[in-house]
Amino acid sequence: MIAQVMLSVLLLGVVIYAWTEYKRVPAVALLSAIVSVCGVYFIWFPETSTHWAEFVGIGRGADLVLYTWSCVSLLVILNLHLKLRSQLEMITGLARTIAIENAQQPETDPISNS
Amino acid sequence: MKNQSENYHVWVIIAAYNEAGTLARVISNVESYGFRAAVVDDGSKDATYRIALANGAVAIRHPVNLGQGAALQTGIAYALTRGAQAIVTFDADGQHRASDIEVLLAALKRENADFALGSRFLGRSLRMPVTRFLLLRLATLFTRLTTGLRLTDTHNGLRAMTRKGAQAIRLRQNRMAHASEILSQIADSGLRYVEVPVTIEYTAYSLAKGQRIGDSLTILSDLITEKLYR
Repeated sequence: MIAQVMLSVLLLGVVIYAWTEYKRVPAVALLSAIVSVCGVYFIWFPETSTHWAEFVGIGRGADLVLYTWSCVSLLVILNLHLKLRSQLEMITGLARTIAIENAQQPETDPISNS
Repeated sequence: MKNQSENYHVWVIIAAYNEAGTLARVISNVESYGFRAAVVDDGSKDATYRIALANGAVAIRHPVNLGQGAALQTGIAYALTRGAQAIVTFDADGQHRASDIEVLLAALKRENADFALGSRFLGRSLRMPVTRFLLLRLATLFTRLTTGLRLTDTHNGLRAMTRKGAQAIRLRQNRMAHASEILSQIADSGLRYVEVPVTIEYTAYSLAKGQRIGDSLTILSDLITEKLYR
């Protein structure tokens, strides 16, 4: 029971995290939320996992739970990657502003002087 | 020197990363046709920045290395602030010919287009390796499928755009995927584009600096991940 509650709280945390990220990464957030809700379902109804595992062709319910958990982890990693990319975009914008403000003109303009 | 007063409002953007070996020749080639050159030094570790200034180009320096796409966007943004009426992107490795700039600009005018895109397959490519040929053909097919643009050469860095065209471009792909991104933005803008025959001359130097087959996977991954976030 204690483990069930702890895992559920963790997965619900992922759902909340996905909800807060929805605006920025809608596809990843939606997938994370769906997979996490599936995870909570398997925690409280483990006996159904074998049925679903057989249905999707995995075989053992325990494996299905493991795969679900792997999916959650991979999606969170993907989200972190996307977050890094958006941070890079901010850095790029900053670097661009600095670069343009400090653009150096040549001492002599070869076009107007020729 | 030709059409000097007209060329005064044309900015040639040269994105450069560690190009000290070829940059002086490239700038002087561009300037010999009466064009203004702006070199965006993308955080080079060699003398690229100093050479740009010494050879009469405006020198813009990224504090850190960000990639060719980021450098081109910086150059475009700079040229727009300086009142450019037309902007040309030009490689720093000596592959392009400055004489083709006039051909691109003439095509913009003649066809009343906002983008003139250089094509080595309509023009000439000297000493192109077979692997590069196949890779470029694959990229052309990919672009046709993803943007609907019927182009013959999709990864050619030699292109010209009007001010209006440049204002429609906002490159977010810092690295090599910008070449696909720019075409996607051209397609989205609905502005008129034209392909123009140009010459690309491969050298051992430019091939060593150019893209490899593995880079195409990076480009693909960059394009896919961009679709996932806003």
